[in-house]
Amino acid sequence: MSTEELSDGEVVREILGGQREMYRVLVRRYQDVLYRHAYRMVGQPDDAADIVQKTLVSGFQKLNRCRDPERVGGWLFRIAANLCKDFLKSPRRADLSIEGASATVIDRSRPDVDLEREELRERVQQALERLSPEQREAFVLKHLEGRSYGEMATLLGASKSALKMRVLRAREELQTLLKVYQ
Amino acid sequence: MNDELSDYMDGDRELEELSPEARAEAEAWRRLTGELKADEPKQAPPWMENAVMSEIALAEAPRVNVFDWLLRPRELRLSPLASLAMAAAVVALFVMVPNRVPVTPPPGPVAVTQILVEFSLEAPGATTVAVAGDFSGWETNFVLEDADGDGIWTGRVPITPGLHKYMFVIDGTDWVTDPGAQRYADDGFGNRNAVLAVAPPRTL
Repeated sequence: MSTEELSDGEVVREILGGQREMYRVLVRRYQDVLYRHAYRMVGQPDDAADIVQKTLVSGFQKLNRCRDPERVGGWLFRIAANLCKDFLKSPRRADLSIEGASATVIDRSRPDVDLEREELRERVQQALERLSPEQREAFVLKHLEGRSYGEMATLLGASKSALKMRVLRAREELQTLLKVYQ
Repeated sequence: MNDELSDYMDGDRELEELSPEARAEAEAWRRLTGELKADEPKQAPPWMENAVMSEIALAEAPRVNVFDWLLRPRELRLSPLASLAMAAAVVALFVMVPNRVPVTPPPGPVAVTQILVEFSLEAPGATTVAVAGDFSGWETNFVLEDADGDGIWTGRVPITPGLHKYMFVIDGTDWVTDPGAQRYADDGFGNRNAVLAVAPPRTL
């Protein structure tokens, strides 16, 4: 049986049994989904990559604490989600985002259509940055990752009704920030 | 935000069921999320896998926590006969198991694997080029060569698996950050070190 055919639980057991190299299987399985989530949360590829690297290294070190090895992907996702929120709450990040906002340059040589789209993306990114980390997470999971409230509740350990309210508040906040209906 | 739009956004209502005003707003939201998704990367950077594997090669291995495993609640169904047999087995364990003294294996030499890494830098006009990093104690012992005089300096350096910081040193005095590095890290003095991830030999 090739390593790709092993279940997550079997891979975890091999690693805990001393087969450290088997962790590569989990890295390959989950690095992309973790990276996409981290990028959606922090908005910068380098920061997202740092978070995913920290997540995967920390996941290895704490692997013996994973209660359900068959769902190790969800467990790694929770580590990444927490690191993303910690990153967004860090004071250093607040300073950087102010500098970043003033340093944004748009290439004026491109056609107007691209320019409009670029400006829209920029406005949305800036609006997302102004949401609280929890609101941003809820919006990302629901509307960018297309997850159900049931999945979100399992991933984040919050009730579906609380998450529904968080998503609603995020949309309202974005609506105000973007004034998309004007 | 009105209720019908909220219901649509939560997946509880179809677009066709919305009023024209709510439908226009729904389309605006769809465009907005579509733009965000169109702009995002789909995959982790290619260096991620080796960077993680290099880092965990040096990390302490996770071990199964026996007490955690024993204390974890689990459902166990036994027939009355099986319960009696298990109780007898537990008693027998306490009676029969001799005292054991843990034995620590004697310390022995630890094999350190080194991987040969090739460095190259385009530096036409340079007289000497060396690479210095944490693997050399930041000494400029590893000198690169430009045998054919094309301005591209290369050299191979044995390095242990893990994450390493390095810089090139041109003509013995100019410390230059590798423009083609996998990653970079601030050195704390206003400059950037290049960061190299060296993976352990693959056995998978």
